Amino acid sequence: MDPVFIWLEQTALSVWVRESPSMFAFPGILTLHTIGMAFLVGLTSAFSLRILGFARRVPAPEMLKLVPVVWFGFFLNLVSGFLLLLAYPTKALTNPVFYLKLTTIALALLAVRALGRRVADLSFRPVRGWPGDRVLASLTLGFWVVSVTAGRFLAYTHSRLLASDF
Amino acid sequence: MSRGDWASWLESWRQQLVLWLESTPAGDFVNTYTWAWPIAESFHFVGLCLLLGTVGLFDLRLLGFARQIPLPQLHRLIPWGIAGFSINAATGSLFMAAAPFQYLYNESFYFKATFLSVAGVNVAVFYLLFYRKIVPLGAGEQAPWPARIIGGVSLLMWIGVMCAGRLLTFYRPSFRFF
Repeated sequence: MDPVFIWLEQTALSVWVRESPSMFAFPGILTLHTIGMAFLVGLTSAFSLRILGFARRVPAPEMLKLVPVVWFGFFLNLVSGFLLLLAYPTKALTNPVFYLKLTTIALALLAVRALGRRVADLSFRPVRGWPGDRVLASLTLGFWVVSVTAGRFLAYTHSRLLASDF
Repeated sequence: MSRGDWASWLESWRQQLVLWLESTPAGDFVNTYTWAWPIAESFHFVGLCLLLGTVGLFDLRLLGFARQIPLPQLHRLIPWGIAGFSINAATGSLFMAAAPFQYLYNESFYFKATFLSVAGVNVAVFYLLFYRKIVPLGAGEQAPWPARIIGGVSLLMWIGVMCAGRLLTFYRPSFRFF
């Protein structure tokens, strides 16, 4: 994989994100990644808490109006995450923790999407979700905790930083 | 006191605070166990999500999103935000105790503290003056306009706290202070 890593690391965009002294480069992109996380993870977690039976008199289908804000968080993190990956491809792609992070994000998104669809289809009556809904809500919360922790641990668990010798 | 006197008074105060923080056992704990810092950071990020997910959601509703959710009902998620804030106050204090210089000699830290203070005053104004006006509101009803502004300020301040917090590491002081 090293030739691919070296090629990626030497692209102009990778070099700019990694080496520019501008606060809008690596630091700014990392900041956007945090803000996107707050909205994506935060709002979907609030939705999961509602399904688990907290704030029972909040109409759950109405919470789906916030889906655009969740998508905003998701796309912000998709783009910022891609740029962060491009800046340090070797660091992330040689670390098993990175794959754990991606897998748990995918699982959390699938769980919360399934939950959202159920709530939309059933014009959600119960004050708590049905048992299956509560399982999906718990899974969403659990996967988010693992992915956020894995993301934070990426800074401490990498074995290599760059494949290129600059 | 002249400006210079003020500056030296503040500086001596700051040095005292650094010495005191360094003397606390919390800092030793974090510095002794290699994984304490990353684990505390993970909690800090989970706490952030809880805070923004519930308080931020309430702010968005104040601003006019998802109007069919009655505000007083949505308010029942706020304890989760308080839990998130508490986690972050605890882990944040741990970071400060473990590396006081990194924070007290860092511009970004003062930005974060300022945003936090404004958020604090903002929330106090909300509960002192507007909370009781929110309580009777039902689905579709909007909060009075000052409360909507408070929601906007809250959202902006918490985003500011996240930005300044995330950028802290990039404004770390050099070792010239030691």
